[in-house]
Amino acid sequence: MSQRVVIDPVTRIEGHAKISIYLDDAGEVSDARFHVTEFRGFERFCEGRPFWEMPAITARICGICPVSHLMASAKAGDGILAVDIPPAAEKLRRLMNLAQIVQSHALSFFHLSAPDLLLGFDSDPAQRNVFGLIAAAPDLARSGIRLRQFGQEIIEHLGGRKIHPAWSVPGGVRAGLSDASRTAIREKLPEAFSTARSAIGHFKTMLDKHRDEAVSFGSFDSLFLGLVGDDGSWEHYGGKMRVVDSTGAILEDHVEAGRYQEIIGEAVEPWSYLKFPYYKPRGYPDGMYRVGPLARINVCRSFGSPQADDELIELRQRGGSTIKASFLYHYARLVEILGSLERIALLLDDPDLHSKRLRADAGVNRLESVGVSEAPRGTLIHHYHVDEDGLITRVNLIIATGQNNLAMNRTVAQIARRFVRGPKIAEGMLNRVEAGIRCFDPCLSCSTHAMGQMPLEVSLFASDGALLDTVAR
Amino acid sequence: MAEKIHNPQSTIVIGYGSTLRGDDAAGPRVVAAVARWELPGLRAIAVHQLTPELAEPLSQAGMAIFVDARVGGGGVRLHPLRPTDRLSALDVHIGDPATLLALAHALYGRAPRAWLITLPAHSFELGTSLSPLTRRSLAVARRRIRTLLKRKHRRSRLS
Repeated sequence: MSQRVVIDPVTRIEGHAKISIYLDDAGEVSDARFHVTEFRGFERFCEGRPFWEMPAITARICGICPVSHLMASAKAGDGILAVDIPPAAEKLRRLMNLAQIVQSHALSFFHLSAPDLLLGFDSDPAQRNVFGLIAAAPDLARSGIRLRQFGQEIIEHLGGRKIHPAWSVPGGVRAGLSDASRTAIREKLPEAFSTARSAIGHFKTMLDKHRDEAVSFGSFDSLFLGLVGDDGSWEHYGGKMRVVDSTGAILEDHVEAGRYQEIIGEAVEPWSYLKFPYYKPRGYPDGMYRVGPLARINVCRSFGSPQADDELIELRQRGGSTIKASFLYHYARLVEILGSLERIALLLDDPDLHSKRLRADAGVNRLESVGVSEAPRGTLIHHYHVDEDGLITRVNLIIATGQNNLAMNRTVAQIARRFVRGPKIAEGMLNRVEAGIRCFDPCLSCSTHAMGQMPLEVSLFASDGALLDTVAR
Repeated sequence: MAEKIHNPQSTIVIGYGSTLRGDDAAGPRVVAAVARWELPGLRAIAVHQLTPELAEPLSQAGMAIFVDARVGGGGVRLHPLRPTDRLSALDVHIGDPATLLALAHALYGRAPRAWLITLPAHSFELGTSLSPLTRRSLAVARRRIRTLLKRKHRRSRLS
């Protein structure tokens, strides 16, 4: 009698999902699926809205990464206006996007993943949380909270608020950075750098203790997609798309935003509201690719900043020149924090930030535009069609987490095969499956562009579909 | 990290809720009014939700007042708060102020004397308007906060 074991809800991720694990008659894992059960509908209810409103509307998709949507949406709006935004506006947008990366990655590592990494996957669930982390490593916990706060404060300095700042708009930005804000940010940079370096040091120690997880948490061949600069350096806001395979060979390069549909297709499955983007030339599902910190590191040549580049060299020594182990997303995330802080420090000294020229004015000059930016979790695409009055007629959003959908499913199956043995399911085994998903730091609120929460449950099914058991976490 | 100074004379007022969801804006609306009092030693923070970053300023204050909407009728209610001793899984969403107080204590060794003021709320639909009941409750909540501040001031003068 085969079984389906479902983990529902998956804890310590943003949004809601469930995982189904299918066991065959011998109690071995035959398949596993990562279901996203949120449904939202932003792509539909944005129709008819002025494109000017889209940054504010799409920012509401998510309370964790609204800035990412602000950036991609504003860039799509820039294209409808057919303007090059002023240099100061681009740099200010970059500053906010870097702050977003810092705060989001800090959240992911310190709040969501560190309890597993530091306390162990088999530790008592009652302790395997932030309070357990505080008890075990209080300085690490405190500094992690402050690091996230630092990123949020930069966003607030620029946009007037930490969440959903109404600041990045088509044509530029609404306000600059005051001297007082610049000073306040600069004063907190040393502590932020110290925290980032300390976290990387902690992770290297943790890595040695989690060799099993490092090789089994989503370690497989795949393609990788991300933005890179013209010189091949790490990018987060501009640049063009690049796709590499697991040997590092470049399959696509210098792909401008408007050409994304040449390389990205989207499939749907009946058991999840999350779409399945894939690399078109290889078809579905062979065209699986990953985005996010690991992908950005794999597609780039270097960070272009000294501390991050030093860490990148060591990361590649440990993980390979093209890193396939999804467990190393955590490491990549920390290196990105460090690189982002270096870029923030440089931007603060940029004289362009004093400019009062922050917006380009124009009307509707194009009826279709695509904005691409790197969200903390990966490449984010906003594609708008508008009418002559600038009202949205069609929207397509390709979200970072969605692009990792195939890879997350593959990861769940891989971990399940390695750690799950029927009929007894140990807490630690289930937690490893969840932890594998957390490597990707999925944001499911974004990826289904959804609102609200839905109840989740664990279900166990026989091979004939009969329900064997139901568990709710 | 520089040690921040605990100021037993200070008060932090935190109003939380979505300003786009009707009556859920009650907490932030009350706090916005409190901020306009511009009283020395009073810090007023309006947030969408309670987050771990609030633990540090909480730990530095002598008294904390949380303000939130409460589903249902009745009047404005005032409850004393203590840090929870049920330290369940905490992520970026902290559901209640007692957990936040516990976090402040766990991280910084201090949690202030705290109160929770809740306002009755009916409608949480998309929008920025308050229902008549919640709107009427705003002034009552503000008076409760003034009373707490006066009581605290009297206690500190006597000690």
